[in-house]
Amino acid sequence: MAVTHDVPQQLDELVSTAHRIRQAIESVVEGKSDAVRLTLTVLLAEGHLLIEDVPGVGKTMLAKALARSIDCPVRRVQFTPDLLPSDITGVSAYNQQTREFEFKPGPVFANIVVGDEINRASPKTQSALLECMEEHQVTVDGVTYRLDAPFMVIATQNPIEMEGTYPLPEAQRDRFTARVAMGYPEPAAELEMLDVHGGTSPLDKLEPVATTAEVRALIEAVRGVYVSQAVKKYAIDLVVATRHSPDLRLGASPRSTLQLVRAARAHAALSGRDYVIPDDLQDLAVPVLAHRLLPSVEAQGQRRLPEQVVTDLVRRVPVPETRAS
Amino acid sequence: MRLSIAAGVATFSSAILLYPLFEGGAWFWGALGAVVAVMVASLLSGRLSLPAWAAPPASLIALWIYLTASFSAEEAWALIVPTKESVLELARLLATGWTDIQRFAAPVPANEGIALLTAGGVGLIAIIVDLFAARLRRAALAGLPLLALATVPATILTEPINWFAFIVAAFGFTSLLIADGRERVGQWGRAVLVRRTRSVAPSTAKAAADTRGLRLSGKRIGFAAIALAVLVPAALPAMEPVSFFTFGVGGSGSGTGNSISIPNPIANLKGQLELPERRIVLSYTNDDDKPRYLRIYSLDTFDGEQFGMTQPKGAPDNRTDNGPLPPPPGLGQGVKLTNVVTDVQISEEIAKLSFLPLPYPPRQIQIAGDWRADVGTLMVFSTRDEAAGLEYQVATSEPAPTGQLLRELPQTRSAADLRYLSVPEDLSPQIRDLALRVTADAANHYEAAVKLQEFFTRTGDFTYSLKTQGHGNSALRDFLLRHRAGYCEQFAASMAVLARIVGIPARVAIGYTGGTKVGDRWMVGTNDSHSWPELYFEGVGWLPFEPTPTGSLGQGSARVPDYSLPPSTPTDESAVPTPGATSAGEEETGDPQARQNPRELDREATLATGGLPPDDSMPLAAKLGIGAGALLILLLVPALIRLVTRNRRIRALGWKVAEPSDEVTARVMAGRHPSVAAAWAELDDLLYDYGMARETSETPRALARRLTEQYKFDATSAASIAAIAAAVERVLYAREPGEIGPLRQDLRNVRQALAVTVPRGRRVRAVLLPPSTLRRLRRLGEGLLDGFDRLENIRLRRTAAQRGS
Repeated sequence: MAVTHDVPQQLDELVSTAHRIRQAIESVVEGKSDAVRLTLTVLLAEGHLLIEDVPGVGKTMLAKALARSIDCPVRRVQFTPDLLPSDITGVSAYNQQTREFEFKPGPVFANIVVGDEINRASPKTQSALLECMEEHQVTVDGVTYRLDAPFMVIATQNPIEMEGTYPLPEAQRDRFTARVAMGYPEPAAELEMLDVHGGTSPLDKLEPVATTAEVRALIEAVRGVYVSQAVKKYAIDLVVATRHSPDLRLGASPRSTLQLVRAARAHAALSGRDYVIPDDLQDLAVPVLAHRLLPSVEAQGQRRLPEQVVTDLVRRVPVPETRAS
Repeated sequence: MRLSIAAGVATFSSAILLYPLFEGGAWFWGALGAVVAVMVASLLSGRLSLPAWAAPPASLIALWIYLTASFSAEEAWALIVPTKESVLELARLLATGWTDIQRFAAPVPANEGIALLTAGGVGLIAIIVDLFAARLRRAALAGLPLLALATVPATILTEPINWFAFIVAAFGFTSLLIADGRERVGQWGRAVLVRRTRSVAPSTAKAAADTRGLRLSGKRIGFAAIALAVLVPAALPAMEPVSFFTFGVGGSGSGTGNSISIPNPIANLKGQLELPERRIVLSYTNDDDKPRYLRIYSLDTFDGEQFGMTQPKGAPDNRTDNGPLPPPPGLGQGVKLTNVVTDVQISEEIAKLSFLPLPYPPRQIQIAGDWRADVGTLMVFSTRDEAAGLEYQVATSEPAPTGQLLRELPQTRSAADLRYLSVPEDLSPQIRDLALRVTADAANHYEAAVKLQEFFTRTGDFTYSLKTQGHGNSALRDFLLRHRAGYCEQFAASMAVLARIVGIPARVAIGYTGGTKVGDRWMVGTNDSHSWPELYFEGVGWLPFEPTPTGSLGQGSARVPDYSLPPSTPTDESAVPTPGATSAGEEETGDPQARQNPRELDREATLATGGLPPDDSMPLAAKLGIGAGALLILLLVPALIRLVTRNRRIRALGWKVAEPSDEVTARVMAGRHPSVAAAWAELDDLLYDYGMARETSETPRALARRLTEQYKFDATSAASIAAIAAAVERVLYAREPGEIGPLRQDLRNVRQALAVTVPRGRRVRAVLLPPSTLRRLRRLGEGLLDGFDRLENIRLRRTAAQRGS
C-alpha cells in the first residue's frame, strides 16, 4: 500500500473507466444497474462472481457483456453433466513429433472465464475450478501453470431447485466473492429490450472500452483504498455475527471476511472515495456473505433465507465508533 | 436436604447480626451449635421421611439435648440426657440470663446465662425457619422469623447495623430462596433461559431440569435488591428508632466495651476556667429568678489521687419521656421543698456534652431526644444525643432545710452507698488527723460539715489560685497541710475527703455556678465552671456545700448555701449572720429575694454581656417549601446536565478541523476533532430526546438519508445533515479527514427541522427531563448487571471444569 498521494488522481481515472464499462454493459443489459455495479465491484476486488437466477433473465448476457467490454482474452465454458475436469483445466497430450507430453491449456487460461450453468456439471468437474479460482493457477500432471492477471470467473447458475442441477459444494461457493440475482426486468426496461433486441444482438455492436492494462491499474488503485481499524473491526463483527446466529448452521469463513473487505474497497473506489465506510460493508453484506451460509433447521422451517438472516444481522450489529462519547 | 442446610445457613447468617449485643465470642459458638443441632435434626427427620408436623418437635428435642450437653452437662445423665436436675439448672441459668439482660447495657457480657438465652433463642428461630422453608415449602415466609432476629439489634442499639453483617444476613436469606427455587423448578421441565449473555456453553443433558438460567436471574434480582438495600438508606435521612426491647442503654459503637465516652471532667474543668475569654455555655430562667448551681457530673469514687465517676446506668424506664425521674435518694418527709421550674438553653458551641447541666435534684425534664437518668446520682445523660443547642425545662424540688432541722436529724447509719464513704487505706494519717481535729467539737454530722466548710473558707487560711498543679495524693496533702492554695477542684475534693473521713457520705459535683444575670436571663459562661462537694444527710439527701472562696478573690459566682453557714449564736437558728439571707425553708415556691448574696451584685456590675444564639427553628410551611424546592432542583438535574453538555459541545462546534493528520486510527481522529465528535454526540442526544433515536447499526450516511426522507427535510436541512454525516464519516473512517468547516449552523438547521416535526409535549420533555441524560444512568446499570453475569460465568466455568476433570 504505497499509494498515498496520487490516490485522488487514480480514483478519477478509475471512476471514469468504470463508468465507461458500466455504460457499455448497460447498453446491453437494461435496468440492472445494481447487478452491473456489483459485477464491476467484484472485478475490481479480484474476485469471482456467481450470477444466480431463473433461466432467461440475462445472466449470460451480463457475463458476456462484461467480457466483451474489456479488451482481453475471454473464454466461455458451457457446463453440462458430462463435462470433465480436464475440459476446464486443459490436458497434457503426447506430441508425436517432439515425443513429449505437451500441455494443451483449457478454457481457464483467459482473463475472464464465463462458466455458464455451472451447477449442471457434476461436483467433480465443478471442483476443478477450485484451485484456479483461489490461487490463480492450474496444476496438471504435477506441473503448475500460472494464470494471467486479472483473472475472473463469472459463473451463472440456475436455482438449485431447478431440474438437472447439482448444488455447488460449500468450498466452491466460498470461493465466489459475491452472488448476484438478476431478477426480472422492470416493464419499461423489458419494453426497451424488445425494441433494441428486435433486430440484431446488441452484443455484436459492443466494442471494448478498456484494456487489460487499464483494468490492472484499476485493481492496483483499489488496493490502495484505506480501511480504518474501526471498519475492519466492523467487518469482523458482521462475520462473527453470522457464526453465532441461531438461524445459521454454517457461518461465514475468514476468507469471506477478506473478500468482504476487498469488495468494500472496490465499492468505495467506485463511489469515488479513497476510504471504506461501514455503508460499503452494509451494502455488500448480503451479496458477499449470503451464498456461503447454511440456514439452520429452524430457519429452514420458518422459510428464512440466509439473505434475510444477513439483513437482520446488519440491522443489529452496531456500527463502530459512532456511539456518542 | 438442600433446603434444611440453606435454612440453617440463613438463620445463622441472620444471627451474626446480633454481634454488637455481646461482649466476646462465646455466644457465637453457642448459637452456631444450636443451629447445627437443629439442622442435623431436620436432616434426619427428612431422611426418615417423618411427616411435616413431626419435624419441629424432633428439632426441639435436639436443641434441648444440645443445650443440656453444653450448659448443664454435670447434672445430665451421660452428659446429654436431660434429668430433673439438668432442667432445673437450665431454668436457673435462664433466669440469671434474663435478669442480666435486664440489668446490663449492651454489649452485655457473655456469661453462661446470656449465652444460654442466645443459643436457645437462635435455636428456636432456626426451628421455625426450618419448619417454614424445608417442611411447609414456604421459603419466603421463613423470612419473617429471620427478620424478627435481625430486628433485635436494630431496636436495641441506636447505632446502625454494620452494613457488612447486613449483607451476610441478606445473602443467607437469598440463598435460602434460591435453594427453594431450585428444588421447586428442578421438578419441572426445562427452565427458560433468561441470561443476558449467551457465552455459557449449552447445558449438558441431565435428568433434572437445568435451572441455571433461572437461578442466575434470581441471583441478579437478589444482588440488585441487596445492593439497593445497602446503598439507598445511605442516601436517605435517618429515622429515630424507638426501642422496644429492654436492654439498658449505655451502648457504644465506637467506644470500647460498654463505656460511654466521658470526658475527663476534671481536666475539662481546669481547661474551662483557664480560657482567656469568657464564652457563654448556657443561659436559663426560672420561677423565682434565683441563681442555682447546675450540676453536670457527680464523682463518687476516690482512689487516693482523684475523684472519678462510676459508669452511669440509664434504664429505659428512666427516660425523661417517661414522666418523673426516680426520687432523690435520702429525701425524707419532713423537709420543706422549693419547687422551681428552670428553662435552660444550651449554647450551640458546646461540643460533645452528653450530660445535661441540671439544678439538683431534678424531678422531671422536658427535652427532645433519648435522655436517661442515673438512679443513684440523678445525672441525666444520653448515649446518642448531644446537649449542644438544646432547650429544655426541668422541674426541681430543692430541699431547703434549716440548720435546726439538720442538727436534729437522727444520727443513724446512712443508707447511702458505702462507696461514698470509702477512702484509700494508705491515705496520709496527717489528713485523717486534720479531719478529726477540725471537727473535734462537732456534735453531729451537720455540725461537722459546717466546721469543715468553715475550715476551708475562714479558719484554714486558704487562698484561691488557678496556678496549683495536680490532684494526686501528695497534691492533696500539699494543699491541705502546706500551701493551702488552690481552686474549686482542690477545695471540693478535699472537703469531700475530709467529710468521708469523719463519716459523712460525700461526693464531688462538677458543673456550673448559677452565673450572672443579663437582662432577664441568667448567663453561665466557661469561667463559671465549678466543682463543689455534696454531702449526704439521711432524711434530707444530698446537699451542696461551698468550701471554695467566693467573690472577686475566689470563684466569682459561687454562692454559699444558707444552711452551711455557721450560726452566729449557736442557739438562735433564725438569726443568720449573712446579710440578706433568710431561711428559705419558709417558702414553698419562689421567693424573689431569698438567698441573696451581696457578692453576686459586684459580679453583675462587672459583667460582660454575652448573647445567646437566636432561635432558628423554622415553620413547617417553610420546611415543606424547602423540601419541594429541593425535589424540584433534583428533578431538574438531568436537564441541567444536558444543558451543560450541550453548551460545551456547541462551544466545540465552532472549531474548524484543518490540517490533515498522519495515518492514525479513527479513534485518535475523533479525539483530535472535537467539533465533529461534539456535533455527532449532540445529534445523537437530540434524536434520543426527540424519540427518534439512531439504531446502533445505522451509519451516519444512512441516518442522514432516513431523517431526510422520514421528516421531509427541505434542501437546506438535507444539505446540513448530509454535511454532518460526511464530516463524521471522514473523521471516523478516512485516512485524512481533510478540511471540515464549522458545523454549528448545520446542527442548528437540523435541530430546527426536527423540532417542527415533534409535538410540543415531547419538546418540553426533551428540555426538562432529557431522556439522553437518563440513558447514561441506564447504561451504568446495564454495565453493572453485565458485571454480575461475568462473575457468574467465571464460577460456572470453574464448576464445569471441575466436573470435567
